[in-house]
Amino acid sequence: MLPSYLTMAAILFCIGLYGALVKKNAIVVLLSLELMLNAVNLNLVAFSKYGVVPSLTGQIFSLFTITVAAAEAAIGIAVLIALFRMRGTVNVDEFDKMRR
Amino acid sequence: MDMYSQAAWLIPLFPLAAFLVLTALGRSFRRAGILTGTAGSLAAFVLSMIIAVDRLGGRAVDYNYAFDWIRIGDYTLRIGFEVTNLTAMMLVVVTLVSLLVNIYSAGYMKDDERITVFYGYVALFTFSMLGLVLSDNLLSLYIFWELVGVCSFLLVGFWYAKPKARAAAKKAFIVTRIGDAGLLLGILLLFWYMPDHALDFTTIQSVFDGQSGAITTGITTLIALLIFLGAVGKSGQFPLHVWLPDAMEGPTPISALIHAATMVAAGVFLIARTYDIFLDSAAAMETVAYVGGFTAIFAATIALAQNDIKRILAYSTVSQLGYMMMALGLGSLTGGIFHLFTHAFFKALLFLGAGSIIHAVHTQNIQEMGGLGSKMKVTAWTFAIGALALTGIPPLSGFWSKDLILTVAFETNPLLFVAGLAAAFCTALYMSRLFFLVFTGKPGAAADGAHESPATMTAPLVVLAALAVLAGFIETPWNGWFGSWLSGEAEAAHGSGVAIVASIAVGLIGIYVGWLIYGKRSVSRTAARERLPWLVKLLEKSYYVDELYAAVVVRPLKTIGSLLMVVDEYIIGGIVRLTGIVTASAGRTAARLQNGQVQTYSLTAVIGFVVIIVAIVGRRFWP
Amino acid sequence: MSILQDIPILSLILLSPLAGLLVVLLLPKHRSGWMKTAAVTATLVPLALSLWLYADYDKQQGGAAFEEKLNWVDVPLNKELQDISEFVFKFQYTLGVDGLSLPLLLLTTLVTAMAALAAVHVKKRWKSFFVWFLLLETGMLGVFLARDVFLFFVFFEITLIATYFLIGIWGYFNRERAANQFLIYNGIGSAIMLLAFVLLVNTAGFRIDQAGEQTSFIYSGSYTDIFRNMADPTAWVNLSPDQMGAVNPFQMTDTMQWVLFILLLIAFGIKLPVFPFHTWMLKVHTEAPPSVVMIHSGILLKMGAYGLLRFGVLLFPEQARDWAVVLAVLGVINILYGALLAFRQQEFKLVLAYSSISHMGIVLLGLAAFNEIGLQGALFQLVSHGLISALLFLIVGSLFERTGTTELSELGGLARSMPFMSGVLLTAGLASLGLPGLSGFVGEFLAFLGLFESMRWLTALGVLGVILTAVYVLRAVLKITFGTQPERFGALKDARLVEAVPMIVLLAFILLLGCYPSVLTDTVQYSIGGLFEQLLATRAGG
Repeated sequence: MLPSYLTMAAILFCIGLYGALVKKNAIVVLLSLELMLNAVNLNLVAFSKYGVVPSLTGQIFSLFTITVAAAEAAIGIAVLIALFRMRGTVNVDEFDKMRR
Repeated sequence: MDMYSQAAWLIPLFPLAAFLVLTALGRSFRRAGILTGTAGSLAAFVLSMIIAVDRLGGRAVDYNYAFDWIRIGDYTLRIGFEVTNLTAMMLVVVTLVSLLVNIYSAGYMKDDERITVFYGYVALFTFSMLGLVLSDNLLSLYIFWELVGVCSFLLVGFWYAKPKARAAAKKAFIVTRIGDAGLLLGILLLFWYMPDHALDFTTIQSVFDGQSGAITTGITTLIALLIFLGAVGKSGQFPLHVWLPDAMEGPTPISALIHAATMVAAGVFLIARTYDIFLDSAAAMETVAYVGGFTAIFAATIALAQNDIKRILAYSTVSQLGYMMMALGLGSLTGGIFHLFTHAFFKALLFLGAGSIIHAVHTQNIQEMGGLGSKMKVTAWTFAIGALALTGIPPLSGFWSKDLILTVAFETNPLLFVAGLAAAFCTALYMSRLFFLVFTGKPGAAADGAHESPATMTAPLVVLAALAVLAGFIETPWNGWFGSWLSGEAEAAHGSGVAIVASIAVGLIGIYVGWLIYGKRSVSRTAARERLPWLVKLLEKSYYVDELYAAVVVRPLKTIGSLLMVVDEYIIGGIVRLTGIVTASAGRTAARLQNGQVQTYSLTAVIGFVVIIVAIVGRRFWP
Repeated sequence: MSILQDIPILSLILLSPLAGLLVVLLLPKHRSGWMKTAAVTATLVPLALSLWLYADYDKQQGGAAFEEKLNWVDVPLNKELQDISEFVFKFQYTLGVDGLSLPLLLLTTLVTAMAALAAVHVKKRWKSFFVWFLLLETGMLGVFLARDVFLFFVFFEITLIATYFLIGIWGYFNRERAANQFLIYNGIGSAIMLLAFVLLVNTAGFRIDQAGEQTSFIYSGSYTDIFRNMADPTAWVNLSPDQMGAVNPFQMTDTMQWVLFILLLIAFGIKLPVFPFHTWMLKVHTEAPPSVVMIHSGILLKMGAYGLLRFGVLLFPEQARDWAVVLAVLGVINILYGALLAFRQQEFKLVLAYSSISHMGIVLLGLAAFNEIGLQGALFQLVSHGLISALLFLIVGSLFERTGTTELSELGGLARSMPFMSGVLLTAGLASLGLPGLSGFVGEFLAFLGLFESMRWLTALGVLGVILTAVYVLRAVLKITFGTQPERFGALKDARLVEAVPMIVLLAFILLLGCYPSVLTDTVQYSIGGLFEQLLATRAGG
């Protein structure tokens, strides 16, 4: 059973990674990050059920992750809105202020 | 009996004290300065005389005292003094000439504003020279050896504002330093080969006794030659003689004291002091003899063509020092030292006389002088005595010592005997040329208003003239007192009729020829110049030795220096700069990765992560 | 037993400049006179103390009585892994003196005091100048006093930073570039040194203390521990894994020893400086202010030689012996290369800079001799060159203030208007070319004497350098003092009292060492008597 979950999570993670690295729209990048986090959650839950030493720790941990992810999404969107107001765009390519 | 010799260490302290007082006084106390300097050397002279007279009676015991200078583990370097008959003699010579020069300078340097500095330097020189003479080992001898060198340097460059004086001083120091480096290496060699690393002369004497074989002949020869190199530098022997004529830029009393009587004789003294090393090596002895013989004739010929009165005397000094070296090389310690002894007086006399002339006419060119004999009677007569003594006319002192050397050469080495005779002929010729051109004939361009020098200058001349007459009688063909006193061996009658006759004849012929040309003027003075212009030019230019050195040593050295400068600036400096540039450009390249795009950063991170994973996992499949 | 042993004399010496620094900090900014007085006083205190220490240094005790130790920082390591009571990384504040460092300590206090007097030439920002200056002195004293490799390193770095600012702010025209080059070059040296030290502590610095039931595993930077471990054939550092039972993480293999030796050689060689790492110091010599150059060429260069001796030669005697020829060749190159280049320079400061390279070559020769005479020679040369070059740069500073140039072609005949300074310059020049009776000769002679035992031809080459030294020194010094004087220098004044005093003091020490070198050699002798035999004998046993 475990390999199917892990494969599923891996695919999800790769899609998320691809989106985070390639997409120009910041919203899409944020969504991709969520995808990756969920892939991790999937792993956690899978191991907690089918792992060598099954325990509830993994599931509790995934609950935490979901909470943190929600918070992170909120902050991310807030930053994005602020940026959009300032620069008039949500295109990631144009946010290169860090260089200077 | 040793009581006086024990006090010998005091002798150098008098001039040293004088030097310190003079330095402390500064320039304002002129009269006090002169008195201090003179008093210092007078005290030294008196004590030296006492010691010498004390030792005259017979073979006094050598007195030796030394203390540790540096102790390093099992090795000890010592400094000490030793009084032997040889050193006692040298003490008298040095202090006497120094005293006379002190008195003389009071007149000669009267108008110089830095006269106290001059007296200070002279006192320092006297101290160093006495220290050199009294040293009981090679190391302390070397220390004082360098100190006299630096005093000579200071005094040659005394009139520092003259660029020529500066160049001469520099040259004197550097050329003698070449010899000194040889001596230093000789000392190093000796230190490691001597049993117990002893450097004192007594031990050297006992180790190099010709039979112990503690040190192989090859090493002995090497040591002897290195020591000889030091002597060559100091005593102006060929090929390191070039500094001595230039050193005439110094005040004339200095030429008399340092560059005629005492310091230049230090080379001869050094060899005499380490004579046992030389006796152990036939090759070294031969080298010394031939270098000496060659220098004698070489310098004498140059003196023939010079016009500067002091340069003539300087080359004459070089030539006479060559005689001394030749005598030592031929195995006659007595001959060398005896000639050193007599030469000190008559050459100091000649230089001081020359100083008196220069003082009167303000030129050094003998062609501009002439007819000075009637105006400067004392100078002329004393100068004549000195010249005759140098030429070797009996019964003046120079005759006895030169005759002894020629006798030895006659008995052992005909070639050197001939060289010696030829040099003697040249000596007679250039001295008569000098004398007749300066003192006889029509008054020259500079002779107007010439007058006799003050008594402070003529008195030393008279004293030295007396010595130049009398000093030779301590050793004659019939009376070997000096030799036996010096070496402690039984008196040996020597003398060869042939040598005596030949040397007198050569001297007289030389004077006669000189008189014909320059006195009577029956032979044209320009005959030689017309017939053999290249030869005269060669002699005037001192065989182009200076030019040769400039081309062979000085210029290559400068070129190497310039070349290395380029290397330093562009190759080594270039590598350093290149390192800097490479680092900076590497930094710039790496900085380009930072483009501000978060996605690029994370992509890089992901790639790195993948590489790490692959590496870790891949290792498992690596054989 | 003397009173000195009851007080922490070494710490007092080390900290007295810091006290002066605090005083200077508290003084109002515009009171330059007060500040100078305070700074000079602050340098005189350690001078007086170190003179007292030198006089009191009991040769029989070899200075062992003068050691001060304090725990500074203990960094606990993961002791759960081991079944022991303590597993720590110990940094200790350990000070000590022996015959090798005491002369250099005295040299430091002396030259610094003289340099403080020479700092009258400083024209701006006195306060920060003296703050850095006193910090620099603390650093230098610390280098010679420290008996813990990390403490040594810290002080070494302090000197670097202080010198950097002193050059960069108060130097001449091209000062910032010179300061940057100095910092970067020496920074590389320090990095290499740190690497070597870390490796050293990780192997030879490890020891196990057994006190009753308690077992402590300790890494320490203590020089004494490292030295003892390195010399002890039964110490872990010298045992192969077989002797230990399969593994010995503390073993220092032969390769490792060589690597460390070469690292140390490079690190201290840069400071010394050894050809071809010398280019950085040329700029420093020309650009730094006079009082800083005095210290730089008088003391900072000596730290390189001291470090090479203390860490390179004493900890790795076998490597040093095997590489004696290399050291000697480097020394000869330094001597000849420096001399030939000094001969061609047109700028007096550069002549002196290259002359420093040449003279440091003699130090290398002394070390390469690998016997007591050579070592004595090397140390003597260090002290002597410290004094002489400090004196020379002191004069250069005073000269520059008057003439506004140190180009040889523009100078000449200064003996007329400045007889005193010219006389001192000439004497210093003569000392530098190794005239007997002045200190330069003794160091040179001993170094040559020592080296001659094993390497004849290299010594002969080195002696050649003696001639060249005479050539370039006389060329430069005579150009300045002798000859005709340009008219614009006619009205120059001779040295003022505040300039004359340090000149006379330095000259007096040069003369003292030249006439009676036992003052120095006897102090050194106790520490090095039989040293080389011992070093090699213990190694041979292991």
